[in-house]
Amino acid sequence: MIDFRKDFYADVRIEDRFTTEVSFFNGSLKESKERREVRAFLRVYDGKMWYYSSTTDTEHIREALDELYSVAVPDADIEKDPVVKRFEINKDHLESFKENSVRNIPISEKTELIRAFLPILSSDPCMSMPMGKYLDRNSLYKFYSSLGADICYDYQTCGIVLFCSMVENEKKLSAMWQHGDTDFRNLRGLFAEAEDAFKEQAEFMRNSVPVEAGDYPVVLSPLAAGIFAHESFGHKSESDFMISDESMKDEWQIGKQAGAPILTISEWGELPGTGYTPYDDEGTRARKNYLIKDGILAGRLHSALTSAVLDEDVTGNARAVDCTFEPIVRMTTTYIEAGRDSFEQLIAPIKKGYYIKTVMHGSGMSTFTIAPSVSYEIVDGKLGRPVQISVISGNVFETLGLIDGLSDKVEMKSFVSGGCGKMEQYPLPVGFGGPYVRVSRMKVQ
Amino acid sequence: MEKEKMIWRNSSVSLNVTAGKIDSYRKNEETKNTVRVYDDGKIGVAGSLGEFDDGRLTEAAKNSLGYGIEYTCELNANRKREEEIGDIIPEKEFMPRMHALLDRFSTECPKLAVSNKINISRLSSSYENSLGASLLSISNSMEFTLLFQNKGSGNLFDYGYCCSVGKYDEDAVMKDCRLMYDAFYNPVDIEEGEYPVFMTAGDLLGTTVTQFYANTYASGASLLSGKLGERVFSEKFTFCDDRNPQTAHGSCFFDDEGEFAEGYRQVLVKDGVLKSILTCKQLSRMFELPFAATAGAAYDGVPSFGFNSGYIKSTANSVREITSDKAVLIVEAGGGDMTPDGHFATPVQLAFLVENGEIKGKLPDIGVSGEYFDLLGKDYLGAADNAFFPSMDMTYMACRMKVSR
Repeated sequence: MIDFRKDFYADVRIEDRFTTEVSFFNGSLKESKERREVRAFLRVYDGKMWYYSSTTDTEHIREALDELYSVAVPDADIEKDPVVKRFEINKDHLESFKENSVRNIPISEKTELIRAFLPILSSDPCMSMPMGKYLDRNSLYKFYSSLGADICYDYQTCGIVLFCSMVENEKKLSAMWQHGDTDFRNLRGLFAEAEDAFKEQAEFMRNSVPVEAGDYPVVLSPLAAGIFAHESFGHKSESDFMISDESMKDEWQIGKQAGAPILTISEWGELPGTGYTPYDDEGTRARKNYLIKDGILAGRLHSALTSAVLDEDVTGNARAVDCTFEPIVRMTTTYIEAGRDSFEQLIAPIKKGYYIKTVMHGSGMSTFTIAPSVSYEIVDGKLGRPVQISVISGNVFETLGLIDGLSDKVEMKSFVSGGCGKMEQYPLPVGFGGPYVRVSRMKVQ
Repeated sequence: MEKEKMIWRNSSVSLNVTAGKIDSYRKNEETKNTVRVYDDGKIGVAGSLGEFDDGRLTEAAKNSLGYGIEYTCELNANRKREEEIGDIIPEKEFMPRMHALLDRFSTECPKLAVSNKINISRLSSSYENSLGASLLSISNSMEFTLLFQNKGSGNLFDYGYCCSVGKYDEDAVMKDCRLMYDAFYNPVDIEEGEYPVFMTAGDLLGTTVTQFYANTYASGASLLSGKLGERVFSEKFTFCDDRNPQTAHGSCFFDDEGEFAEGYRQVLVKDGVLKSILTCKQLSRMFELPFAATAGAAYDGVPSFGFNSGYIKSTANSVREITSDKAVLIVEAGGGDMTPDGHFATPVQLAFLVENGEIKGKLPDIGVSGEYFDLLGKDYLGAADNAFFPSMDMTYMACRMKVSR
């Protein structure tokens, strides 16, 4: 335990992060490394200002805290501060990955696993420059606060990323597939999925045609729907964007119509996967939060600060990419809840539209943007030719109101590379998912 | 056995702004260390955080030679250089001067709510190798990522003042903020059609820089594949990977293999001719590509290619020299991308109308699009340094693009 000073609020977050990277390029080993970093992030609050520091010298946390105390102003009533009153005082020890920790798997085993995937990247004459990468991370977090919080929990991801170039005559494509998981053993069963993904991309490279730009009905895959939920509405639910402008609370009143009545978007840090966050970086326990329920604005995401300013409950969404940054309001796992239709029923009424299967990236402000990789046209209710689309986009609220069909199963997705970026903090691992989602009109370019 | 070592010391102070007031102070000090050893065509790498321990890291690097990772490169012998660039606010003056700026902003731009970060940082990077090379780069910079919300708009943010600079001038910052503010509150319109579109290098070249990657180029998957030495773009277009701390503020002048180009800018395209590809020593040898000082590496990783910052050579002294026609200035682009065939499109979150080289007002939501080789070829109009907002120290390039609503 850490000896905190009275008349201040303070907390200390320590992360012991173990990572592995093994990669092959063009048939040769390119990288093979295990890294262990231990860092701490310290916060002192005096009721007016926050003072932060980050250190890799975790043996001398008390001295680092003293430096922060020396510039803060003591406040005997600090525990009555509205922000401090929001902090939960949890005590827990939650190690979910102790038995299957990637720390205990020899790097040789990880190397053999990724090596076994490599033949997929030379299975078609159009393929070259194969690159296969194995990545993992196991973190042990400890969190202590001056209020008495004492939490220890772990986090784990592992996964495979495969790339190659595809070239045939004038046709070109940079092809990619990746899968993120929390259990190394699950990665062994992915060969067929990876093979199918590269076969489809080769087909796409050979036969895709340019899109006819315009406004069309669009069906999003569970992956695209999850990214759409994250980019279109998840970021708008991060309430740190609301506290600089007092009128934002009126603009964003809970209970307001925010989308089509069939739409429910949820956010939940306890779901397994890359967005797993049982406690946030302020020691708040995760809970299921509805952002939109049956088309109605139902909630938003909070840190202790934003929950105090907006007088709402904390949600477990104060997160930092690592112990060099302070926690800010971030998503964990965001997804659209299921509807009632099948995929076939969703595309059946579409005379001319597009199906977005895989996505390179997305972004969102008042307009959201998604850059698809593999997409298909929908003609007379059936999937047609593969099409090249630069971006699909639309006004967020207008598009949420145009959702008119959801399939009956949710698929959750995890990636092992990349993540969510917000200002200086990138990449934060998040999870996302959804059913197949039909939108009656989107701008397609 | 040859050896190289690198040390990066980054010291930064970051202020967070909420509702126009500073509400947090963050100080970070971080040191990252690297030792690489080369023996018999193999590389061994070790890295650490905190104090540099030569003996321990060298031993760890030698041990990692056992992985058998092939890497052949020639180290530079006896190359010595030291540079310190950037004159920014001393740490003890930082908070009061930013308080003063924010107070002035709230008075002069009252309809906007201000949030996010202002940072100052000092990056000291050193490189030494067993052949006597010794490089030291110290770069002092200041970074604004201030976000502005039009009060009552309900938007996350409407636009920002985001830039990295090597010196701070409060009056110049406020002058540019006022220019943006006045334009933002003056709605204007434009008909769909083709117009000159001004943007920063990152808006177009950020997502398309993958075309310059060594492996993509060598595989044939790049739109530029096989075109080294050929004129591929307009004669007006010169594009570099910029490590010059005078323009790429906060950068180290050498790459992660201790190499640097003339002027600390690696030319990729010169006068429209494709000159270099983003590569490192190993990939350059493997694919017989011209040497380029564009290596990137994690502090404990094997070098590969990297890209630091885009530099576009200015072709004009003013916007009006490029065009006095009705034009569009992209202030906030919205995550655009390009198809494998080279069709580029992006929604635009905020754009201003420009006429006679002057900003006239805020345009409604638009999208812009064009074809890669046309945008940088027949439709490329030129570039001007500090064209619109001099305090941000940015170059704006202009291409004729399709503008849609």
